[in-house]
Parts: sequence; C-alpha cells; structure tokens
Amino acid sequence: MSTRSRITRWHVMGWFFLVTLLFFAVAPMIWMLITSFKSQFAALKYPPEFYPRNPNFEQYQRLLSPSNDVGRQFLRYMLNSIWVSTAATVFGVAVAVPAAYAFARFRFPGRKALFFSVLFRNMFPAVVFLMPLFIMMRWMGLVNTYSSLIITYLTFGLPLSIWLLKGFYDNIPVELEQAARIDGCTRFQAFYMIVMPLSAPGIIATAIYSFITAWNEYVYALTFLNDDQKLTLPVGLQRFFTEYATNWPGLMAASFIMSVPVVVMFLILQKYFVRALTEGAVKA
Amino acid sequence: MTTGHRGGPKARGLFRRMADHRLDYLYILPALGVMLLVIAYPIYYTVYLSFYKTPPSLAMSDKIWNGIDNYVTILTSKSFQEVTINTMVWTVWSTFFAMLLGLGAALVLNREFIGRGILRGLLLIPYVISAVAASYIWRWIYHSDFGVLGAILYQLGMIEGKLNLLDNVDLVLPSLIVVNVWKEFPFAMIMILAGLQTVPDQLLNAARVDGAGAFDRFRHVTLPHLKGVLVITVLLLFVANLNHFTIPWIMTGGGPAGASDIWITQIYQIAFGRIRFGIASAYSVILFGVMVVIGYFYVKALTGDDDRRHG
Repeated sequence: MSTRSRITRWHVMGWFFLVTLLFFAVAPMIWMLITSFKSQFAALKYPPEFYPRNPNFEQYQRLLSPSNDVGRQFLRYMLNSIWVSTAATVFGVAVAVPAAYAFARFRFPGRKALFFSVLFRNMFPAVVFLMPLFIMMRWMGLVNTYSSLIITYLTFGLPLSIWLLKGFYDNIPVELEQAARIDGCTRFQAFYMIVMPLSAPGIIATAIYSFITAWNEYVYALTFLNDDQKLTLPVGLQRFFTEYATNWPGLMAASFIMSVPVVVMFLILQKYFVRALTEGAVKA
Repeated sequence: MTTGHRGGPKARGLFRRMADHRLDYLYILPALGVMLLVIAYPIYYTVYLSFYKTPPSLAMSDKIWNGIDNYVTILTSKSFQEVTINTMVWTVWSTFFAMLLGLGAALVLNREFIGRGILRGLLLIPYVISAVAASYIWRWIYHSDFGVLGAILYQLGMIEGKLNLLDNVDLVLPSLIVVNVWKEFPFAMIMILAGLQTVPDQLLNAARVDGAGAFDRFRHVTLPHLKGVLVITVLLLFVANLNHFTIPWIMTGGGPAGASDIWITQIYQIAFGRIRFGIASAYSVILFGVMVVIGYFYVKALTGDDDRRHG
C-alpha cells in the first residue's frame, strides 16, 4: 500500500515536470507562429495580442512569391541552402561509407589511432578552423563560392558520420559477408551488394543528420560568403533582420519557413535521427 | 579485440603489416585526404600564426615574427579575466541545466504511455531548428518594449515597468543561458533516454520486490548503469557550450559592455572584426589547449566502453 502511494507521488511530480517542460519547449515556437500571422502594426501592440485579431498570411505571401524584392531574395537564400546542404550530404555520405566500413571491419595497423583522431575533431571549436580555412579559401579563390561551404561542411560532418555508420556496420553480422565471399563475391562486392543495402537505415540516419547540420550552420556561412546572391538561409535571416529591423512578423515567418524542412524531415524520420544521435555514445 | 595492435608483434614489422593491409587503407583514403586538408593543416597553421603579428590586409607574406607576445597580450589584457569568467559561467550552467532537464524528461519518458512518441518529438524540436532562428525567436520574446515575456510578468505583477534582459549587465548572461538550455536539453534527454533503455528490467523488478522505493531504485540500480552515458553527455555538452557561437553572437554580440562576451565571440571579434589573426590564433590555441584536456577524458570515456564491448 505504502509503495503504491509513493509511486503515485513520483508519477504526479513527473507529469507536472513534463507539462512544465513541454510548455517551456513549445511556447516559444507557438509564439513565433502567432507573431508570424500578425501585421507589423499588430505585432507592436502593448500588451501583445495573444490571439491575433486579424490573422493573415501577408508575410508568408511576401516571402514566398518571386514577384517582389523580399520574396526573390528569400527564395534565392532558400535555393542556396538546399544546394549547399544537399551537396555536402551526398559527398559526405559517399566518403564516410567506405571509411566507416573499414573502421568497423578491418584490423589494419593504426586503425585505433586514426579512429580517435576522427573523433577528436569533435572537440575543436569551429572558430579555430575559421581563420586558417578563410586564408586557405582565399588562396584557392574559393571565398564567396558554394564550394567553400560544401567542402567545409562535408569535412566537419565526416567524423560524426563515420562514427554513426560504424555503429551500424558493427551490428551487421560478418557471417553474411563471409557467406557471400564463399559464393564467389570479392570483398568489395560483398560490401557493395550485401552490406550497403542492409545499412540503408544507417545511411539515411547519417544523411538526415548531415543535412540538418548543414542547413542550420551559421558561422562558416557568415565568414565565407558576403555576396548577397549566395547567402544561405541563416545568414540571409540575419541580413533581413538588419534591413527590416522592426518587421518582427516577417522575421518570425522567415524563421518558421526555415524550420519547416528540418522539423518535418526530423518528425518523419525521428526514429533514425534519435538513433543517429545516440548510436556509438551509448552502445554500438 | 586482441592485443596484437597495441605493441605490435616484434617479428613482423609495422611496415610489413601495413603492406598486408594496404587495400584496407583505400577505404579510408578519401576521408583521410579531406580531413588532412581541412582539419590537420588548419590546426598546424593556427599554431603557426599565433606567433606572428599579421597585417590587416591579410597578406600573409607581410607577417612579422612576434614570439610569445600574442599570448602575453591576451593573458595580461583586462578583458581576459572577465571573458574567462563569462565563458565558465555560460558553459557550466548551460551544461548543468541541460543535464538536469534532460535527465528529468528522460526519466518520465522512460515509461510506456499513450502519446509518448509525440511528446518526445515535440520536446526535440528546439534541438533541430536553427540556432539563428532560435536566437531571433527569443530576442523577440525578450524584447524590452514589445516582448511577450515582459508583458506576462508585468500583468502578473512580478515586475514594474519594462523587462530589460538583454541590455542589463547582470541579467544578460542568465537570459542567454536560458535560450541555450532550451536549445540543447533535448540532446541530453535522448542520450539519457537511450542509456535508460540499457538498464535491465529484471534488476529494477528485483529491487522493487526487495522493497526499494523509486528513489532507491534510481540511486542504486539506474544510476550505476547510466554513469557512462551521463559522463559522455556532460563532456559533449561541455565542449559544445564552450564552442557555442551563434546564440551570444546573434542575440547580443557580446554586449552590453562585454557582459555576455565569451571566448568564442571574443576570438571572432578579434579575427574578423579587428582583423588581427595573430592574436586571435593565439587565443584559439589557448582554447584548443582546454579542449585537448577535455578531449582526453572524452576519448578515455569512449574507449573504456569500446574495450568492454570487444572483451
């Protein structure tokens, strides 16, 4: 009897905590949405309207239609972001897959040292790399190009991608490949025809993770690009803020549009994403 | 894994074994190549530049050897102490509260109930959205004239007049920490949640049968199993916070009067605001040193795991 009442108390406390936390997590995003449906004038009312009296899609129409300057600019940023994130993801995964497989399967000398040097990269602040990379990009004539970002993102995504994928490969039984080898496959064929399809979930998880990271990346984009036509969304958002400082509904609408792809992608593939994050650190 | 790798058998030399495995290296070659170019070289170059005085034109052929003067300049500057304290406050408290909320959420979510998946998804959203968008959302919430937070607190009678968070020297850093915790507690949550799933149910049930209360079960069964995950999560968060740039940069730019300036924003300001790459490089090397120490513990925590797994 006493045990039961104790459990109930913990339950109630747990629920109370969860509801508070949920409010803390979600309320700012709801406020972003509410604000984005207001007119500029309504947003600057005090006290604020918690429920917009004249909700409208004016901001969204403006941002998403190519018929005005703001919209053209915003769509340009969005295309840039899509291109940079997709390219970084595709190349990144293509490079990470063989490396992760090698780390998971082969026992070559230096394997451990290499692997931890791969992991060690997670420790370094982006800003440490910013200056030498900036000089390097200038020297190679890549400042203000998408390539500078694609190369940077793909490299910085690599250690984690390799780490995640290695976790997936560790879980695929070696016996499958051995069977394939007995049936006459070469080692590469076994990898390509047996292991690759089986690790598809891992590759998807890794790809989403890289895409989201690249999509949200700010500091390199801020430093490497300054041509207005080439900016990605995070820097573009900042540019918007400096230009239209009082247009909070517009800024909130832009933030919302920018969040939609990653949130949707994440919600659909939540299982993989969570696995991607926790794989390796917890157990492989 | 066998002991073969650590010392290496004496009879067959290292090169011989490397030659035996030469095809293995083909798989990691692309990754290695890109990383040498974009990671190893920049680290070397940062250390190298930290001993030079660089010209504002960034024409590196004009740089002047400066010995350890850059380091002396940083360590003796008045702002260094203040910025270091800010960095520690920012990093420690962000990590602490993210862990606290993450642990709480994970413990509650570790039970089966209807809507658990949806709840977990909702709680994770702050983690996936862009830090830039998050910064603007919170800037708008904190806005001193039209911010919703000020309005609510005013209507509840908790403050008089306007709420001024981001222009207040004492409140700015805590306000930024709230945003940062909002953004990263979900990460702690899912890491811990994944760790909780490795706690064997039989053990928990056995403890229950033996009459252990919820707290005792947590303390004596769950916590020991969770230790590894907790250590790694704390280290990852600590490093992420030490390196976090976007939230302070977008929300305050280090202001007012440097009250929210941390190492990273300071380095960026010196490098790309004042174009003094030499000093900024030296600053990076100092930060880098701190990282290496943490990195050592990180790798140790991870390898401990790896060795146990492979027996």
